[in-house]
Amino acid sequence: MLGAYIAFYVVAFFNMSYWLSIVIAAIILGVLGLIIYRLIFYPMRNGPHANLFVAAIALLMILESAALLWFGGETKWLILPYSNDVIRFGGMSLGVQRLIIILATLMVMLGLELFIKKTTVGAALEATAQNREGAMLCGIKVTQIAAMAFAIGTALAGVAGVLIAPAVMILPSMGLGPLLVAFSAVIVGGMGSIRGAVVGAFILALVESLTSGYISATYSLVFVFAAMILMLLIRPSGLFGKEL
Amino acid sequence: MKTIEQLRSSPWTAWLALLLIALIVPLVLGGYLITILTIVCIYAIACIGINLLFGYTGLLSVGHSAFLGIGAYAFGLIAIRFGLGFWPSFCASIIISGIAGFLIGIPALRLKGHYFVLVTLAFAVIINIIMMAWIELTGGAAGLAGAPRPDPIPLPWGDVIRFQSPLSMYYFILFFLVIIFVVSYRLINSLVGKTFIAIRDDENLTQSLGINTMSNKLVSFTISAIIAGIAGALFASYNTVISPDSASFMKGVEIVAYLIIGGAGTLAGPLVGPLIMIAIPEMLQMVPEIRQLLFGIILVLFIIFLPKGIAGEVSFLTSRIKSQPRNV
Repeated sequence: MLGAYIAFYVVAFFNMSYWLSIVIAAIILGVLGLIIYRLIFYPMRNGPHANLFVAAIALLMILESAALLWFGGETKWLILPYSNDVIRFGGMSLGVQRLIIILATLMVMLGLELFIKKTTVGAALEATAQNREGAMLCGIKVTQIAAMAFAIGTALAGVAGVLIAPAVMILPSMGLGPLLVAFSAVIVGGMGSIRGAVVGAFILALVESLTSGYISATYSLVFVFAAMILMLLIRPSGLFGKEL
Repeated sequence: MKTIEQLRSSPWTAWLALLLIALIVPLVLGGYLITILTIVCIYAIACIGINLLFGYTGLLSVGHSAFLGIGAYAFGLIAIRFGLGFWPSFCASIIISGIAGFLIGIPALRLKGHYFVLVTLAFAVIINIIMMAWIELTGGAAGLAGAPRPDPIPLPWGDVIRFQSPLSMYYFILFFLVIIFVVSYRLINSLVGKTFIAIRDDENLTQSLGINTMSNKLVSFTISAIIAGIAGALFASYNTVISPDSASFMKGVEIVAYLIIGGAGTLAGPLVGPLIMIAIPEMLQMVPEIRQLLFGIILVLFIIFLPKGIAGEVSFLTSRIKSQPRNV
């Protein structure tokens, strides 16, 4: 949501390029993520998991109502010069913005995978996820790693917001639906697997578009969540996750 | 003086005094306050249900708005479509929300931690979409009008309680709040309640003692769903109009938030939380956006600094004061 707003203001108000807004959104939201982590999640890092969840929802309430007060409740549209361009390829037609989204997703996926598998910091991140105490004993600064992971997460959410901005209407309440679907995608794909998250997102998106095309558009979200619940019942750890 | 000391040490005295205040205050002050207190009572009932599940069994559900909605719609639909009276519809709605809780509890409780919370959330969203989209049954976004008020109760001396005035509805709902409060108190102090607490504190250890934790969790989940369903049916009867908005997933989050602010796992928490978090913003007549902003901030501050909630911190402080030797 904030990413989409940043894109809107960067492009429509300051007349800067859309590509620049991706970088700006990533930086602003990465920093915001660090601040949020330090203020809210760091003090309660040893508390029960349920509290983290409630705090996250409280944060959603805060950001959403702040955006409503700040940006106003009316819908905003981000129109780019190539918004209506379509590439025809064989029998398919594909909007340019959608192509950009697909390419950007692949780039982010590859980049994250390389970052985690090939760099020392990435290895530290994985170690922290696997065994917090063990990572601590190895001299990894666990809280710094957690803060960094949080900042990467918020920065990527910002990038996603910028990417989706030209394709949808921009509203303060636009974040919740994608958030729930993103959670479901991570569950279907398996927590702790980047490939899993992408594959899970693809599966759920297929479920959503196929059911809205062939059954009913209003119920498509029902089918998405039903697919998630089904996945949890059959294999709680998800497609690519390790056995629980 | 001894009797006063005994009275003070009896836990029931404080509760009875509170009940007396709840009975008298609306009579004296009246007006808009009755409406606010009625809403507080409905949320307090739902909070008691969540308290059993989250505060005592340790299972967080942010999706109990679904059971509020199921209770409300089951009550309204049975009363309107089948033309049944208040009490048959009310009993049926309780049974239906219990069955719904049981059926969703079976798959959901196989999961732990975040996964369980997410399934309850997804369930609430699904139910809300069905309420919006199944227009033939639920009336869609416009909602369902004409849910009945309770049947008039004839009194022995010839008068009749008709449940048309806000005050009579307030007493009716307060009556249910008291019953559910006493039932939950008895439950928590029973063997079942002790088992819930054991599961909350250490599920693996509880299981190793030969206790079937799954069936106990299912009992806790079903009871909390039934209580949420009662709150939903009471709301439907009070409001007479039921809309999908009254069971949006944010309502489920709000119930949990009231409970955490009031104090999860305490008896007073489900009463204190809604009272403070509903009554104060209503009296200050806050703009909804500002209310939501402050609500979020207060919730975060409570989770960080006062995770036991108001009731939890107060009882912690009083026990500290009592345990300290007095230097007289």
